[in-house]
Amino acid sequence: MSNSAAGPAELVFTRVFEAPRELVFQCMTQPEHLTHFWGPAGTSAPVEHITVDPRPGGVFETVMINDADGSRYPHSGGLRRGRPPERLVWTEAHSGMTVTVNFTDLGGTRTGVEIRQVNVPEFARSPEAQAGFLTSLDRFAGYLATRSAGPNTRRTP
Amino acid sequence: MPSAGTAVPQDQLDATFTALADPTRRAIVARLARGDATVNELAAPFDLTLPGISKHLKVLERCGIISRTRHAQFRPCHLEAGALEPAAAWIEDNRRIWAERFDKLDAHLRDLQRGPASDPRRIPPEKPAPPEGRPPMNERSNQ
Repeated sequence: MSNSAAGPAELVFTRVFEAPRELVFQCMTQPEHLTHFWGPAGTSAPVEHITVDPRPGGVFETVMINDADGSRYPHSGGLRRGRPPERLVWTEAHSGMTVTVNFTDLGGTRTGVEIRQVNVPEFARSPEAQAGFLTSLDRFAGYLATRSAGPNTRRTP
Repeated sequence: MPSAGTAVPQDQLDATFTALADPTRRAIVARLARGDATVNELAAPFDLTLPGISKHLKVLERCGIISRTRHAQFRPCHLEAGALEPAAAWIEDNRRIWAERFDKLDAHLRDLQRGPASDPRRIPPEKPAPPEGRPPMNERSNQ
């Protein structure tokens, strides 16, 4: 059984924003914008700790700080081939996970943002291998969400 | 806890995700979520031979997603829901982080576009409102 037969798993998250694509792309690549939204609820992402060099080989570094106890969550990614303002790709240093952000101009001032997260070994990153992605694990996530609608749903943070 | 998945060994996640990366195996898991089933019952909906389905079952069994009774004659397969927990938690963490980022980004984009120059609703203090100012036409669509 060859390695490529093991389909890499992928997570996909999408959202449509009421803003032109260039602006949404800027938000995702400029520290002064990222600081407003990079940290999820309960955390902040101070602008002085954000470094983005959007060229291939550049870095995408952030630190999220827990508002409650000051814990720090550094994130460091190496940027890969992107295509401003359509696509941004980085690979996380600590997990090897590759995150692709696709920006789709939906006409007017609407922009679709699609986050694709894959954690695949280097050998599987060829376009041929990627064409084989059939996973879309969000279906699985949806299925799990239905299943976990039972009593013990809430996991503590 | 923004750093998703740090509590779970990466190789365990890899094994679970790899097992679930196959549509047949996902379908098997979905079927077993409704109750235990024998290999024959599991093979029925698929165009697969029994050895073919057994191969998938072995993958799922190896990473602990399913178990098979040792003693019963037909060895029904059982979904070990707990085995999916780490993967489910990892997915949920990531989903939540991006959902919250998107919420904040949405608010930030609204703020940016509500700047004095671009928003017809914001009227500079010195200037009176234009007589035929159109009402704001921003339709809200939360997706």
